[in-house]
Amino acid sequence: MNKLASSCQVNGALIRVTDLCKTYDNGIDLIHVLHDVNLKVYPGEIVAIMGPSGSGKSTLLFILGIFLHPTSGSYFLGGQDVLGLDRNAQAEFRRRRVGFVFQSCDLLENSTVYENLEFPLIYAGVDRQDRPERIAAALERVNLGHRIHHSSNRLSGGERQRVAVARALVNQPQVILADEPTGQLDRTHGHSILDHFAEIVSDGKTAIIVVTHDPEIAAECTRVSLIRDGVLYEQ
Amino acid sequence: MRLNDLMRVSLRQVMRHRRRYTGVVLAIALGVAGFLNIVTMSREVKKNFNENLDLIGGVTILRIYFDNQRSYRPQWFREQTLAALKRLDGVKELSLTAVKYSQTNFQGRHFAFTTMAVDEGFWQVRNFWPLTGKLFGLDAVTGHKREVVLGAELAKKIFGDTHVRGKDLEINQEIYLVSGVLGGVTDSGLANSVFLPLTTAEDRFPGRLLADRLYLRCATWDDVTAVAAAIPGIVKSCQSPEELHVEGSWEALKRVQLLAWWIEFLIYLATSATFLLGGVGIWNVMMAAVTSRTREIGLKKAMGAEDRDILAQFLSEALCLSVGAALLGAGLGRIMMEFLSYIIESRPPENLFFFGVTLAFLFAVVIGVGAGLYPSIRASRMEVVTAIRYE
Ligand SMILES: Nc1ncnc2c1ncn2[C@@H]1O[C@H](COP(=O)(O)OP(=O)(O)OP(=O)(O)O)[C@@H](O)[C@H]1O
Ligand SMILES: [Mg+2]
Repeated sequence: MNKLASSCQVNGALIRVTDLCKTYDNGIDLIHVLHDVNLKVYPGEIVAIMGPSGSGKSTLLFILGIFLHPTSGSYFLGGQDVLGLDRNAQAEFRRRRVGFVFQSCDLLENSTVYENLEFPLIYAGVDRQDRPERIAAALERVNLGHRIHHSSNRLSGGERQRVAVARALVNQPQVILADEPTGQLDRTHGHSILDHFAEIVSDGKTAIIVVTHDPEIAAECTRVSLIRDGVLYEQ
Repeated sequence: MRLNDLMRVSLRQVMRHRRRYTGVVLAIALGVAGFLNIVTMSREVKKNFNENLDLIGGVTILRIYFDNQRSYRPQWFREQTLAALKRLDGVKELSLTAVKYSQTNFQGRHFAFTTMAVDEGFWQVRNFWPLTGKLFGLDAVTGHKREVVLGAELAKKIFGDTHVRGKDLEINQEIYLVSGVLGGVTDSGLANSVFLPLTTAEDRFPGRLLADRLYLRCATWDDVTAVAAAIPGIVKSCQSPEELHVEGSWEALKRVQLLAWWIEFLIYLATSATFLLGGVGIWNVMMAAVTSRTREIGLKKAMGAEDRDILAQFLSEALCLSVGAALLGAGLGRIMMEFLSYIIESRPPENLFFFGVTLAFLFAVVIGVGAGLYPSIRASRMEVVTAIRYE
């Protein structure tokens, strides 16, 4: 499988989404959030997704991280049919192949920054003595090395967001899905995160999808896609 | 997820939310402590009861005798029979006695009475104490001394008083020293008797003295029936059991046993109730934790936790609680046990304590798994997106 995956990365898209639809059923009526979304993302790319609030950006990202199943359509990542995975394989997929930054920049409460970053490593089976180094490196990338033993409850909004980004990086995933990772950051920090993203994808194997409302951030990405009324447009 | 990570994470979680768990842990710990003390101390307490409460003390005494009036060949208890009976399980102590009728002349008046020739253990076995003076002991028996103890009524009849220590009494034309007057007697036959060392009576009484009565005290009232049933066989293995009779206070024994059964039952009930409450408490606390930690579960799943990682974490937290509580309970129980042992001056065998601790830990694991399983399964089955979007 891994051989297949790497050959696909060289030849074509890392992410290939075709005719993806998502309909929510809230019990009263059906809410069609995504219509026939088609998306290809190549290794080394940073794709920005923009769109008005409620247009389905988070929904798309949840589907890409397989936190949510689409109503129809197909989704391949590195040649692998992601939607056909069973529950354990899904968990494996989440811990090895994607890193996720939530819009609400969720951190584990009553835990330190270190513990927050440790969990992905625990689940991935990384040896305990190898963890501190990787955690420190990930935190360094978001300029938070000095907060490593801070309690997550005492971080500022921007710091929480940066810890969430560091947590998505720590397992060195193939795909990083970031839902407004710069929403609470000032320009300097926002741009510095984008610089780090650029550095990460420069290895030519990783791809990053960033949801953002900030045109300046979008301008720094490789490509920008727009969601409007559930339809994805390339710009 | 590795075991040491699991343990570390769960312990950390429990320690950080310890306030939420204090009530449950204390409840289980108390249950464990109570349970341990029932297991270890109930026999000691019963023994103590039997020794100290004259009221129910009587039910543990068996009277064993040969009815020599109905036999052509008079029988008495032999050394080896006594030794064999003493070795019997549940027998605490025994006392050998013989009975003879005697008379005295005191200041011109004539008195006839029963003399009981007894060994030094008699007072202890029958729960008697001196009303005045003292009851003769081992030295009088081994020394074949001419000492007597009087029943209170007889003392009054002869001397008009119960303070008669040091006075002389003539029995069968020999002079005996009165050492005390017997208390704790309700039976008027005994209150009108004279007690003297068995050895002395064997030496001095005319005719043959048959030590044909035995008083036997069992360790607890639970032993009485078994001991009574075993006696004829044991006597038979040593000597002829012809006209052997075993008497006990069967009615009183039944009542005492019933009472004790109820008390024990209620204690067990209370203990299992604490255990049950502890279980319900763990269930409740874990259910609440699953709900209030929905986002945490979603986050961990988003970070790649499998269902079984989440299950293992919640289950091991429940186990941490119950086993931790059992540990605390074992400590508490030990302290209680030491204290009780100190008070009643008798301590249970150490392995009984370890048996109780093992049992309590087994219970704790069963409770932890039993009450923690359903909440943990619920947590592990949660869908990531519902957990993430949960407010
Ligand atoms: N479980 C659900 N049931 C019903 N409707 C839902 C559910 N989840 C999301 N929606 C709806 O789907 C639409 C898309 O939601 P989504 O979170 O993807 O928007 P978004 O583009 O990320 O918006 P924002 O920029 O505000 O974050 C919204 O109108 C939302 O109300
Ligand atoms: Mg959103």
